[in-house]
Amino acid sequence: MNPTALYGFIAHGVILGALVALLPFGAKRRLIGLMAIPVALASGAAALMHGVVGTPSLTLLVIAIWQLAAARPSLPGWRPALALIAFAIPFYAMALGAGPLDPYAAGYQPLPLLAASLPLAALLWWRRLDRCLLVLAVDLAGYASGLFANLWDVLFDPLLVLLALLLLVMQLVRPHRLPR
Amino acid sequence: MTLPRWLPPLLFVLAAGAAAWRAPAPAAPAFVPPAAAAPSGEAAFFAAAMLPTAAPSAHAATLAGLPDGRVAAAWFAGSREGASDVAIWFATLDAGVWSMPRAIATREGTAAATLGFVRKLGNPVLYNDGARLHLWFVSVALGGWAGSAVNHSVSEDAGKTWAPPVKLQTSPFLNISTLVRAPPLALADGGLGLPAYHEFIAKHGEWLRFSPDNRIIDKVRMVHDRRTLQPAVAAFDAHHALAVLRDGGRGPGPGQIRSATSDDGGQRWTAANALPLPNPNASVAMLRLHSGRLLIAGNGAANRNDLLLWISDDAGASWRAGPAVEHDADVSAEFSYPALLQAGDGRIHLAYTWRRQGIKHAVFSERWLDGAAQ
Repeated sequence: MNPTALYGFIAHGVILGALVALLPFGAKRRLIGLMAIPVALASGAAALMHGVVGTPSLTLLVIAIWQLAAARPSLPGWRPALALIAFAIPFYAMALGAGPLDPYAAGYQPLPLLAASLPLAALLWWRRLDRCLLVLAVDLAGYASGLFANLWDVLFDPLLVLLALLLLVMQLVRPHRLPR
Repeated sequence: MTLPRWLPPLLFVLAAGAAAWRAPAPAAPAFVPPAAAAPSGEAAFFAAAMLPTAAPSAHAATLAGLPDGRVAAAWFAGSREGASDVAIWFATLDAGVWSMPRAIATREGTAAATLGFVRKLGNPVLYNDGARLHLWFVSVALGGWAGSAVNHSVSEDAGKTWAPPVKLQTSPFLNISTLVRAPPLALADGGLGLPAYHEFIAKHGEWLRFSPDNRIIDKVRMVHDRRTLQPAVAAFDAHHALAVLRDGGRGPGPGQIRSATSDDGGQRWTAANALPLPNPNASVAMLRLHSGRLLIAGNGAANRNDLLLWISDDAGASWRAGPAVEHDADVSAEFSYPALLQAGDGRIHLAYTWRRQGIKHAVFSERWLDGAAQ
């Protein structure tokens, strides 16, 4: 069994479980979310997601695990969501051929990207964004594991960007509900 | 729970160090230079026959030489292109007789191996690296061919058995729109350079560089003209190569075979002038012959109802027409998607889609090209 395929399949099961745990089930939300994971794996829902969406990023998986572990839903703030969208949309456009430059290619030999992550990490530490720094550390450890050929795929994916878009829409509709 | 202030940066530093250790930093790429040119000695001959039928509709053949001298072919076939029953079929040519085709990749098998939904299979590419037989083939989960991803499998026993396919990650957006059509070139570091292409929103050729352990370590956009696809590549030496591409433009009149060149082992590609050869938005094949000459197979200006050959004696600077392999006055007839291979015995093999009903195989000597050349 290919380890990357196994990771992607199980990760989509966890992500679907976390999505179920966002539903208003009250005190049983975590239990129902955890129970949804084997259902997603066995029913073909995780395989469908895996086939259509591709391998999910570790960032999305960590957020999903946090959702399943937390007593109450704890969505990321809208500012990180806005930053992700502002970066991802032009990134995807260029990677799909909107211009001559393909930024995705840089992720296959990512030493310059890794060097760029050092000041980013320092900024996160200085701003006391420990969770973000931990996610970045998990992402890089995931890349080091060899599961991912391209560093960008560890950091974000279209499903995470879609989640960020939903968070922004929620912020626009009900501005007081989300952390900053 | 509050973490100690020092813990996140420590974990980050450890992870970043491990990632840097893992990150590939390969040397500049170089092609394996082709062997010195040797003139062909075999008398002129030509023979052609249909491969055994695998399914009602067949398309997109690919050829590879096997270590024991046999020739292997793969293609996709099913009830129709894009149908869920399409599989990748494989047959070998031994002493002039093709074996019965057998499916070496199916939709169900690919879905099981990649643990993901697969809706249909498409173009295969075979390549023998001397030790293993590689198979790349495209699969689609959602949408049309522009939604394709590339899968890779290897055989250690010349195609008898195949490892479960692995889906390659080549695109950040849903891993869509990387397709293959032509075989790779061997690289000096033991890796491979695989011509690929992108179709979603804009069309362009791509070059995937693989490490010797089959890991993608670079991806290069060949040209960015939004109209080219299906590159086929031939190397002249360690650094110089020519790529010819299908003209996917929608301008008035017939298209032309497009080209790109590299002078640094495939690290960068530069768009070159279109070749003075027609291309009705159809796949072309290119081969550097043992004699050093280049051979292209493709369609004529009208449509896919002619299958033609062109030869260059000067590394692609000029071309002359070779013999027509197929012709039908009915422009709706289709002889398309050629694949070329020169076997160890010097014979040139050509496989192509024959009216979508099957795959036809032609074998000829280089002198046949000269004798029939105009």
